[in-house]
Amino acid sequence: MLVYLSKRFLMTMLVIAVTSGIAFLLVHLSGDPAAAMAGEGASEADIEAVRATYGFDRPLYVQYLDWVGRILTGDLGRSTYLRADVTDVLARHVPVTATLGLCALTFALALSIPLGVIAALRPNTLIDRFALWVAVAGQALPSFLFALGLMYLFGVYFRLLPISGNETWWHFIMPSIALGYYATPAIMRLTRSGMLDVMQSDHVRTARAYGLAPWRVVVRHGLRHAIIPVVSLAAVQLGFMLGGSIVIETIFSLKGIGYLAWESIQRADIEVIQAILLVIAAAYAVLTLLADLLNAALDPRIRIS
Amino acid sequence: MPNDTQILNVQGLSVQIPVHGSMLRPVRDVNLEVGRGETVAVVGESGCGKSLTALAIMGLLPRQAMVQSDALRLNSESLAQASPKRWRQLRGDQIAMIFQDPMTALDPCYRIGNQMCEILQQHRKISRTDAMARSRDLLGKVGIPAPEERLKQYPHQLSGGLRQRVMIAMALLCEPELIIADEPTTALDVTIQAQILRLLRDIQQETNIGLLLITHDLGVVAGMADRIVVMYGGQVVEVGTCDQVLAQPLHPYTEGLVRSIPVPGETEQGETLGYIPGIVPRQVGELSACGFVDRCPYATDICHAKSIPMRDADNARLMRCILPTDGSARDPAVWVLPDETTAQGAATHGSTPCPKF
Amino acid sequence: MNNMTTSAQDGAPVSLSPGRIALRRAFRHGGFWIGGTIILAIILIAIFAPLLTPYDPSVQSLSKGFVPPVWAKDGSWLHPLGTDNLGRDYLARLLYGARISLGLALLTVIISGTIGTAMGITAGYWGGWPDMIINFFITVRLTLPVVLVALVVVALIGSSLWLLILVIGLLLWDRFAIVVRSATQQLAQREYITSARAIGSSTPRILFREILPNITGPLVVVASIEIAHAILLEAALSFLGLGVQPPDVSWGLMVAEAKAQLLFRPWMIAIPGAALVLLIFAINLVGDALRDVTTPEGKA
Repeated sequence: MLVYLSKRFLMTMLVIAVTSGIAFLLVHLSGDPAAAMAGEGASEADIEAVRATYGFDRPLYVQYLDWVGRILTGDLGRSTYLRADVTDVLARHVPVTATLGLCALTFALALSIPLGVIAALRPNTLIDRFALWVAVAGQALPSFLFALGLMYLFGVYFRLLPISGNETWWHFIMPSIALGYYATPAIMRLTRSGMLDVMQSDHVRTARAYGLAPWRVVVRHGLRHAIIPVVSLAAVQLGFMLGGSIVIETIFSLKGIGYLAWESIQRADIEVIQAILLVIAAAYAVLTLLADLLNAALDPRIRIS
Repeated sequence: MPNDTQILNVQGLSVQIPVHGSMLRPVRDVNLEVGRGETVAVVGESGCGKSLTALAIMGLLPRQAMVQSDALRLNSESLAQASPKRWRQLRGDQIAMIFQDPMTALDPCYRIGNQMCEILQQHRKISRTDAMARSRDLLGKVGIPAPEERLKQYPHQLSGGLRQRVMIAMALLCEPELIIADEPTTALDVTIQAQILRLLRDIQQETNIGLLLITHDLGVVAGMADRIVVMYGGQVVEVGTCDQVLAQPLHPYTEGLVRSIPVPGETEQGETLGYIPGIVPRQVGELSACGFVDRCPYATDICHAKSIPMRDADNARLMRCILPTDGSARDPAVWVLPDETTAQGAATHGSTPCPKF
Repeated sequence: MNNMTTSAQDGAPVSLSPGRIALRRAFRHGGFWIGGTIILAIILIAIFAPLLTPYDPSVQSLSKGFVPPVWAKDGSWLHPLGTDNLGRDYLARLLYGARISLGLALLTVIISGTIGTAMGITAGYWGGWPDMIINFFITVRLTLPVVLVALVVVALIGSSLWLLILVIGLLLWDRFAIVVRSATQQLAQREYITSARAIGSSTPRILFREILPNITGPLVVVASIEIAHAILLEAALSFLGLGVQPPDVSWGLMVAEAKAQLLFRPWMIAIPGAALVLLIFAINLVGDALRDVTTPEGKA
């Protein structure tokens, strides 16, 4: 177990290292960063000056190692546009995205797990069909369209919820639904198929043969098993949501890292962009690691071996 | 058998399951009685309906299965019309079941003690501490060493034999009147099988419960059962005491089963054991012939013409066959060299196995 | 109990290949028909767009901005779906938009499918080191956020249709690689592959003649998922203003341009939005049908 854990941890570190390299290369090879930072209409001399100031004239690997070295000391660079440390800028934006991601995940789980369980307990009935349609619709609906639909319905037509900003909890409701809905089909399908399997299993038959109350059979001896892969999937989906929140955040003007990324891309603020790429990739890698750990923790057969 | 000692009384039990538009009838008109302190063995090859009969008695068949019976009585309480709630109260309390595969029958996610307490607390008003104490005592009673530690272990940490002992302890938790053991030793190593069987027999004798033992293995039955009920193709084909049936089988199917058991000292090395050609036919629709006719070496025109009713034989035995009961008109040779055509005939029947539950 | 009986299987004649059987079953599948019909209709619309509308989707006529659609008051059949803020005919934009959405998705899936299949077969067939390295690549790829990476590249290099196709194609190969890898792993252990090796078939021959034809089932299913994925990704990028650029038009871009009209002209979002949903829905239907019919056990 310990060997497995340390292997898995090393793997995660390696993945983050390689992705950081890719993030760096993406930003530096997709055009001339100095020209982009100097802005349109800058003279050749200005660009040269920028290049020298920021060290873009050094070989790439030197720049990369320099960047990694600074990251390891907690320095993510400096935003040229905002004239602030990237670390400080991220510290303002990350909590918003984290809140959004967790709310979205909560919404997704609260919708998809009960639906999946009921669908599995009553296969091929009306509720099962309904669940299937929720899943199919969820897969066919682009998230920005769903967000706009919500905005129109609750923000414009009924005027129930604020449509932009992130000042209060009310601001998070629609974005969370829009972002979370995208994860529901996968979670629901996995819950449904897991429950279908486990309800056929021998130990559930034992539980029923010993007269346990129906909810105990379903929750303690059924869902307890079906939920194990769902937990891993949920962690991975949270990672995807962090990466995909850019669309939702721009629509609702939610000032999280997605919104920041979009703004920074338009301002060619490359230090911020590469820091965001790194943070999101690292978050995803850590979440998948967490998913594996949770998997092991939830299954005694893996935990004690 | 007098009524007051009778624990289980099943009359005319039938199970029908709709499958792909046709109606499977895996259990037909089964009668079954188990008395206090009695062990009844239900014997037959896989697909003969014995496990489904057990599940029907437990009320555990899935929704789509239709169960009909003239009588289904536990301790003279009729269960035919019992509510699901009543069923749940009885299951685990008055009837307990031991399953075939102890590797999968216990929930891998919970400790042994936890699973036992859950059952006890479902049926009795009892504190967690007392429930644990009783679970520990029972684990000790079924011969599990260091029961205190086992309570804290997960099923996967125990061997198959130990797990089956845990299942037996579980069955005893609420002091049931009837235990149904469905192939309790089939999944175990041969050496463990004997231990588990001895344990079951000892416990049955000590507590004076009724034991319904379901098995395909006549060898298992020999030292255990008081009476034997032989099932074939969803029907009971023969009933008698253990000694009667093993010594002098009446139905050709039973005869075939008995002949397929090697007897120490009598069966010589290299000798071909008897076997019954063909496979259990699929059970659809009403019977228009004896269910065994395709595989029976003695089959006559009558056997092909109509279904065979149960009839009384000597010494309070029952059989579903038209052959004389004195053992005449039998030829052991037919089992040793089966007729090729009989085997072919049965094969063309095709077999769609009965759905497993 | 007896070993004399041989199971006499009656059923389909043996001469049909698995592919033909799958195709047959597909044609009996309801979802396949509905989805297939919708997709075919959209493909035809995309091809024959110039014949279906007299307007050029990018010609502006500012005097005719915001003509309402035919069902609204003051609407006319002259512009059945009205015009946008720049006076461009909305129906023409919708019809031409199908071209970009479909064409781009097809091209990206050809790119990503080729990359993913090559990686998956390599990893699945050889195992060992190649497998570990490719697995690592897959993990790294999954770790990179797709939308963000695509946005960054497109923003920094400068948006063009070909770049968009290339970027999306280079990003979406992961599912191909994963599925093909496990399918190949299963195949590589089968006896006929082992015997092909034993009789000295060359490796390329085994890969192209034995393995590739036998993984077409899962490959087609993944392709359908990824086409839908690519369309959604293009729409999202266009929506964020960094995908398809004017004068080209795509459904995602139409939604983006109509965003400001959410309050007063919500249909301008609803029309391209509905087209997108319909297309994705149809592709998913066909994908699900294909998954049903290519799974050997059937739907059970």
